[in-house]
Amino acid sequence: MSRFSKTTHHAVYRWWSRMVAMTGKELRQLSRDYLLVGAVLFLFTLDVMMAGGVKMDLNMATMMVHDADHSQASRELIYRFQPPYFKFGGEILNQKEGIELLDQGKALVVLDIPPRFQHDLIQGKPTSVQLQVDTGNTVLGTLAASYGGQIIGRYGFDIALQRMNITDAGLASVPMLADSHRVWYNPNQKDAWFMPISELLTIITVLAMMLPAAAAVREKERGTIEQLLVSPLTPTQIMLPKVVAMTLVILLGTALSLGLILRGVFDVPMKGSIPLFFAVTALYTFAMSGLGLFISTVSRNLAQATMLIIMVMMPIILLSGAWTPPEAMPPGIRQAMYLSPLYYYIEMAYGILLKGAGLKLLWDSLLGLTLIGSAVFGFGVWRFRRQFS
Amino acid sequence: MGQTALVGDTQPVLVTPEPVVTVRDICKRYRKQIAVEGVDLTIQPGEIYGLIGPDGAGKSSLMKAIAGVLTFDRGQLEVFGERIDSEAAAERVKGRIGFMPQGLGLNLYAELSVEENIDFFAALREVPPELLAERKHKLLTMTRLENFLDRPMKQLSGGMKQKLGLICTLIHEPKLVILDEPTTGVDPVSRRDFWAILADLLRERGITALVSTAYMDEAARFHRLSLIYAGRVLAEGEPDQIRQQAPGSLIEIKVEPQIEALRRLKVKFPQTEAVGAVIRVFVAVASTEQATEQVKAVLDGLAIDDIHGIETELEDAFVALLRQRHLADEQAAANPQIPVTTAAPTPIGGEIAIEAAGLSREFGDFRAVDNVSFKVMSGEIFGLLGANGAGKTTVIKMLTGILPPSGGSGQVAGANMHSASQAIKERIGYVSQAFSLYQDMTVLENIRLYARIYAVPRKQINQRTEWVIEMAGLAGVENRLAGKLSMGIRQRLALGCALVHRPQVLFLDEPTSGVDPIGRRRFWDILMQMARVEKVAILVTTHNMGEAEHCDHLALMHAGQIITDATPEQMKLSLQRDAGELLEIVTDQPLMALQIVEQAGFEGAALFGQRIHLLAKDPEQAGRQIAALLAQKQITLLGIHPRIPSIEDVFVYRIMAREQEARSR
Repeated sequence: MSRFSKTTHHAVYRWWSRMVAMTGKELRQLSRDYLLVGAVLFLFTLDVMMAGGVKMDLNMATMMVHDADHSQASRELIYRFQPPYFKFGGEILNQKEGIELLDQGKALVVLDIPPRFQHDLIQGKPTSVQLQVDTGNTVLGTLAASYGGQIIGRYGFDIALQRMNITDAGLASVPMLADSHRVWYNPNQKDAWFMPISELLTIITVLAMMLPAAAAVREKERGTIEQLLVSPLTPTQIMLPKVVAMTLVILLGTALSLGLILRGVFDVPMKGSIPLFFAVTALYTFAMSGLGLFISTVSRNLAQATMLIIMVMMPIILLSGAWTPPEAMPPGIRQAMYLSPLYYYIEMAYGILLKGAGLKLLWDSLLGLTLIGSAVFGFGVWRFRRQFS
Repeated sequence: MGQTALVGDTQPVLVTPEPVVTVRDICKRYRKQIAVEGVDLTIQPGEIYGLIGPDGAGKSSLMKAIAGVLTFDRGQLEVFGERIDSEAAAERVKGRIGFMPQGLGLNLYAELSVEENIDFFAALREVPPELLAERKHKLLTMTRLENFLDRPMKQLSGGMKQKLGLICTLIHEPKLVILDEPTTGVDPVSRRDFWAILADLLRERGITALVSTAYMDEAARFHRLSLIYAGRVLAEGEPDQIRQQAPGSLIEIKVEPQIEALRRLKVKFPQTEAVGAVIRVFVAVASTEQATEQVKAVLDGLAIDDIHGIETELEDAFVALLRQRHLADEQAAANPQIPVTTAAPTPIGGEIAIEAAGLSREFGDFRAVDNVSFKVMSGEIFGLLGANGAGKTTVIKMLTGILPPSGGSGQVAGANMHSASQAIKERIGYVSQAFSLYQDMTVLENIRLYARIYAVPRKQINQRTEWVIEMAGLAGVENRLAGKLSMGIRQRLALGCALVHRPQVLFLDEPTSGVDPIGRRRFWDILMQMARVEKVAILVTTHNMGEAEHCDHLALMHAGQIITDATPEQMKLSLQRDAGELLEIVTDQPLMALQIVEQAGFEGAALFGQRIHLLAKDPEQAGRQIAALLAQKQITLLGIHPRIPSIEDVFVYRIMAREQEARSR
């Protein structure tokens, strides 16, 4: 009995010792690849920071004006198109010039004010202005059209009130529907909270596949795998240290990003449990590394592996809701989202960091990630083991 | 035909036509790394000029400069009388040059077929279609590739790739061909083919060839050559002239105990090496008698079985010249002794360490290994010899437990390869062909990593690491990255890592390719010590025939089968018995003479520089016949004498015989 336990203890010690040696080897090799270390550092810090500078809002859109009236009223209207949304780009002499500028992309919006604009307003006659918008980029175009419409509508409303001689005090007696909404979780609707988190999650996705795949393919490319195969290491002992080492690196990078950039620069509140966030990240990284390992088994070199990773990554990100919300997806694709591990990870990451959600709320996402993650990781491991027999 | 006689058969040294290439004091550096340092050489029309030197000696840089594809920093270069000092000047001569870079088929396109490759190079060189058809036919017949026209290049064997590379280099009929290590990694039969094709071209087209090689035993193939080391020319001239620059005698001794004799001899004669069961000592004394006496004095008291002088080889001269110039690995010279492990492990498997019984392996329809059986004893060095693709690596993969056999069985270090592959893995060491340690880790980190992978007990790790460093001569480079070491030191590190857990069986897959002669000798010293003192069984594969002589026992592999299995001496004896004596013929017109003896039906006739080798059952009668044949054509016979056949001769003869047998069936 004691002999049995002694040999078992010995075997466990040897297994552990080999795992530690191989994991140390992976970390050491990564630390000597200055280019790769530089890239990882850049992605987790500067790149996340840059993402915070990106806004999905209208920013100084150039507006050209064809003002055929040149009156106080027309100047007043033009004046209302203000930064930060709009920028007055100058006057043009005819409508043709406006179309040309839109074609060339030099203007996003062209405002056309007809002659006798002020005269008609004073006379109390209905009049109209024309707003031409370049909607090549649907997001910006829609925003410009909607903001422009609001500005013009508001101007018309003000003129109407003025004409009816209704003062601020009298305004209270006019029957009007006030629209008031309350914004949760990101009260100022700061893109600087949303975008960097989204970017961080994308980076974790890429690196979780890329780092173990690169480590495995490099062994193939340089022929070092041969020496490992004739050694007493099992395929699992060759593979698992890569996953463990790269997960450690990614968790370290994530910590750096959270502390230095999200908290330090953008003041993201981080309402939920940070250990929970790291645990979920570790789980996610493990799942994605399975995909990386699978890719390493079918590629002969790093270039092939990189191409494949990009190929696999694109649908995973598209289907995850990182760039477009699930609510915007057509029905078929919306169901397909349940296959993207990133979908669950995003749910949980935003939930924990912005909403302060705990396991009570996120258990279903966690279950989803665990199931799909185990499947992906198991598949990768199976393929990795199989390539050697 | 007049031109043929003029260029092909004239002794190039005697006439003084305009040289094809003149190199004066050329220097080339890559940043701080010196590649070529003040090299001079002159290549005469119609000669095969050799550049011999280990990897990294500067051969490739020099050849690229002559081919006009690499600029140089200093010096003068003239090709076809044209001063090469600008891109434009290089362009003017490029049409007359054919250049084949180093590496098996590296200049070819893997996905294209044989014919598509040839057509592509012809189009590149603007060869007119009617000329192309004629040349293609001729070159394909010569290289025996005509049956493989549609085969993609990537599916050709190493030798065939190299022959295709040669065709593509020759398709525009250059006047000067520059071939960078064309025979490295090519099997001996293809290698012979290759030299025969080159000799034919010399005879028919009157071309000039500049050829580099890392194999010292190919020196005899050249008319003249330069020995290159560390970017400098060590010696220049005809092979015999170079040998005479380091006069000495080579003494071969059979003595017991071998290890004690080696130890004693090394102290007095640094150029001592064990070659299988014998020891060869290079003594820097021209007289064989005196040299023998000196060796006997050192071995006083040991049982000398046999002692005699043999002909020195170029490699002996090369090593001697390096020593004279103090360029040899000083550390190796200072510490020739290899430490003995404090307590050698007791072999588990008894006397037989490796046993293969009817091993076979199929890949689809292809039978890579066919019913292979052999035994390796503890303390024996067993050589598995064969061309690329003969099945050597597959045998090793099966024995090391990473590839299951389709049939047959095997025992390694007392464990059955079917049921106990994990046990085998723990008891063996393995050194692969390419350096397969981590280049981005230091020497020490690599050793420690492998010590832990092989689960060397923690208390012994330090002691074993020290042993490896001392044994492999790695003191002073412990903290250098493995990738920054020379090939020789890297392979010793690989050997050290393979021995860190004291295996009873050691597998080595082409361990010394690309290692310079001194490094190779040092490597074999260690193997000899491991076998003789620590009783490790060693299985080594190689296609370097010179290296095969170091083994105690050899097995020749061809097309998945073992053709013969015997000691090197037995192999040579059986060749003499089956095919006759090896005769060396010296004439004033070797190319014509070769044609004559080939037509007369002599077996194995091949050109070695200015000499002809052939096999003859009855040497006396063959000598008379050849003398008469040559006299008819007014060719002067300068000498004819028997030679001891090399392992390469054995190999080529056995495989040709096997192929002939297969054809006649």
